[in-house]
Amino acid sequence: MASDKSDLLQGTLDMLVLKIVALEPVHGYGIAQRIQQISREVLQVQQGSLYPALHRLEKRGWLRADWRESETGREAKFYSLTRLGRTQLEAETANWDRLAGAVALILKTVE
Amino acid sequence: MFFREKRLERQLQSEVQYHLDRTAQSYIAQGMDPAEAHRRARLEFGGATQIQEDLRDVHSPRWLADLRQDLIYAARTLRRSPGFLACAVLTLALGIGANTAIFSLIDAVMLQPLPVRDPSGLIQIARLSKTGDSRAVSYPLFEYFRDRLSSISGAFAEMSIVNTITLGGVEENVYGDAVTSQYYSVLGLTPAAGRLLGPGDETAPVAVISYAFWQRRFGLDPAAVGKTFVADRTVLTIVGVEPPGFSSIAHGRTSDFTVPLFMTEQINGGSSEWRQHWDMNFLAMMARLKPGVTVDRASAEVYALFVPWRNSTYAAIQSAFTRNLFLKEQAAALPAAAGLNGLRYEFFEPLAVLMCIVALVLLLACANLSGLLLARAASRQREISIRRALGAGNGRLTRQYLAESLLLAVCGAAVGFALAQWFSRALIAMMANGDQLDLSVSPDWRILAFTGAISLIACILAGLAPGLNAGKGNVNPALKQVRSGGHRRLGRALVVAQLGISMTLLIGASLFIRTLVKLYNVDTGIRTEGVFLFNLSTKTPFAPARALEIESAIVGRLQSMPGVVAGSAAAMPPIAGGLWDQRVQIEGYVIHPGEDDTVAFNAIAPKYFGVTGTPLLLGRDFNERDVAGSPPVAIVSQLFVRSFFGGQPPLGRHVTSANVRYEIVGVAGDAKYGGLRAPMSKTMYIPMLQRVGARPTGYTYFARVAGGDPMRLAPLMERAVPEVDPALRMRTPQTYADAIDQSTLNERMMATLGGFFGLLALIVASLGIFGIMAFQVSRRINELGVRMALGATRGNIVILVLREVAMLLIPGCLAGCMAAVCLTRFAKSMLFEVTPTDPAAFSLAAVALAVATLAAGFLPALRASRTDPMTALRHE
Repeated sequence: MASDKSDLLQGTLDMLVLKIVALEPVHGYGIAQRIQQISREVLQVQQGSLYPALHRLEKRGWLRADWRESETGREAKFYSLTRLGRTQLEAETANWDRLAGAVALILKTVE
Repeated sequence: MFFREKRLERQLQSEVQYHLDRTAQSYIAQGMDPAEAHRRARLEFGGATQIQEDLRDVHSPRWLADLRQDLIYAARTLRRSPGFLACAVLTLALGIGANTAIFSLIDAVMLQPLPVRDPSGLIQIARLSKTGDSRAVSYPLFEYFRDRLSSISGAFAEMSIVNTITLGGVEENVYGDAVTSQYYSVLGLTPAAGRLLGPGDETAPVAVISYAFWQRRFGLDPAAVGKTFVADRTVLTIVGVEPPGFSSIAHGRTSDFTVPLFMTEQINGGSSEWRQHWDMNFLAMMARLKPGVTVDRASAEVYALFVPWRNSTYAAIQSAFTRNLFLKEQAAALPAAAGLNGLRYEFFEPLAVLMCIVALVLLLACANLSGLLLARAASRQREISIRRALGAGNGRLTRQYLAESLLLAVCGAAVGFALAQWFSRALIAMMANGDQLDLSVSPDWRILAFTGAISLIACILAGLAPGLNAGKGNVNPALKQVRSGGHRRLGRALVVAQLGISMTLLIGASLFIRTLVKLYNVDTGIRTEGVFLFNLSTKTPFAPARALEIESAIVGRLQSMPGVVAGSAAAMPPIAGGLWDQRVQIEGYVIHPGEDDTVAFNAIAPKYFGVTGTPLLLGRDFNERDVAGSPPVAIVSQLFVRSFFGGQPPLGRHVTSANVRYEIVGVAGDAKYGGLRAPMSKTMYIPMLQRVGARPTGYTYFARVAGGDPMRLAPLMERAVPEVDPALRMRTPQTYADAIDQSTLNERMMATLGGFFGLLALIVASLGIFGIMAFQVSRRINELGVRMALGATRGNIVILVLREVAMLLIPGCLAGCMAAVCLTRFAKSMLFEVTPTDPAAFSLAAVALAVATLAAGFLPALRASRTDPMTALRHE
């Protein structure tokens, strides 16, 4: 069950989604495109698994969703960041930086 | 709820669809073939169904959705087999209903708080007997405690009264309360109309009526306040009405009017000496704790105050034997949130035992239902195997079974709850024993919680065994229709469990039935059939001389009635009532220290022994010349003679008691007083007509009738009694047999209910045996065919099947016996001349169970023996 797995990748995916949505309200397809554009080679995200993540974030109150007309003229579900989501993004970014820094330090020292 | 889910589902789909379409479009823009583009988009997206499942999980947890599905599925499958559904629901409803009914009685008698302000702050202050029973207090003791206890903020004393009241020309016998002035302020009640009693009303001729009485007699008319009614001969003014819902401070007791305690002296025409006498214990005392004080602390204070009072007061008791008894007395404060303890003591034991019995019945119902579910599982094995082959896990299958039993439990609980309402009302009618018993068994949160809890337990117990068993199945053999024996063992175990529980219930039933039989066969020393008895009530007190005149006139009228062989009267008729004890000195006998120097006294009219049938062994009966002023005489019982005179002739000896010197003129056979269980007592009879000062209402009048229904005297005496004096009325006419039945209420209740549940258990166990044997026979049809082809006779086949029944019966019987040995000793005090391991009761139960189960097994056995070998062999 997806909601039970909370490995590193999932946490990372959440953070990426929050980061992307922070720029402007965007629909699921758009988020998937952005993730692929930014990290096509590094992160292999199965597009479908994005949606449960989006809904989970919405359920937690970090994202707000509403249906509006997209650039193609068709109705799509747009996600935007809530105030709570912004705080969460900041916390997660700080956390990530600390973790990345620590890992980098270990790798350097062991060398 | 349903629409929201539909919308959510649509939105999920269109969101995913949007993504797929956009991806496909981008490939088409790159020049890909549209069909290929869509395929590629789906591929990149991943398993769409899986994603949608995950999405749904985000919105509603998986288990909830699964549970819903399980329940819907269960409902659908159950609806397809209405026979099974009805059987299962009925089984559960009986178990749950019986448990709920007994629990609602326990709730009504012991748990429901009084409808007063902050009931948890109420305590009862009582003397305690050696066995811990609470006993009434005297007025001096009440005042002593009320004025000295520092842990209470107020206290009142109460006695219940019954009076003939005349209101608007209608005479009615009504129960009431006589109370001290703080009654309503301690309880914290507010009037529904007018005012309640308080300080200043102590000697005022005023009364407060209950809301129910206000409704019944005045139709809630506010003008009732200020009206008057006559209680016996005292005119009382109604000053107010109690709030609705409140009746009295003891569960089950109706009280329609409340008067100041001191008014009873006027109403009943008594003296006021009870206000000074420490040995007139007839008051119930209750108090309200000061805020923050615990019952334990109050109880410690009560005891500390009681010891010096007891030691100084009881020192005045002359009889060393009685003094020592009294000096062992204790006193305590008891929690009284649920009111006085009376009913609790009377019914606690039977209700506790009944609770155990119905718990066993529920267990039996669960075992039975479990067996039914298991048999169903066997016939559904292919369906289960298919589901398993499609990937359903063990947990999921177990859950499916639990969902089914949950659904059954809910239906069972609903039906059981309805049954319980009817059943508890029937029980209350039984407990009331023809009197008023005002118990509320309307469902409250405790009863609902209890029913919910036991239904859940029943659901788990019944569903778990088949559910777990399902987990063990293997996909392949079942799909290939190879039969495994796993649940056959479990099924047999369940039948053995059913037989065991039934055996325990049957043993309990036969113990209680044997107790009742022994009680009714006990040698009482009297002949109870063909005796009519009644009491008197009066609206005026009589002067002593007039009272004696009336007493003999009533006996005279009774004797002149057609068909009457002998008519008499007694302060206490045998069995129904207890006698009073008096200290005696006996001529020619020295009472050694520590010996009981009291004997049981009864005052009787001439011909008493002619009515009771107790033989007069020596000397003479009382006669019309034994009146006030003539030398005091007495008749003593055989046990009296044996205890005090040994072989010496008793006639002509003298016994002195309360400064009166009686000459023994006769010896009568022993007779039982105070119930069928009571031992014979050393009894001394004195003539009613020498007992000056007693009231005509203090006697029971009775007559032996030659043939026919003794009750035919009732309308005749009803007319004759007011002719003796217009103030007199006949009260409680009944036959002796009825009076005795009233004294055996608990025993009759236990025998009836025990027998009922035992019979129920027998039926359930027989059905269980029938079910499993029919199933076995249908499975073994090939084997039976082979046996018959090889020359087995019909008799051989019947015996073969019945041997199987015996194989279940024997372990079941043994298990039941062992359980009974552990359980029945808790009901020991309710048995009479029967030990908890009475061999006769055990054998009786075993025989009943064996006969019923063998009969139940005989039908399948017969069918098996009628198998045509050819058909059987071609069966598969």
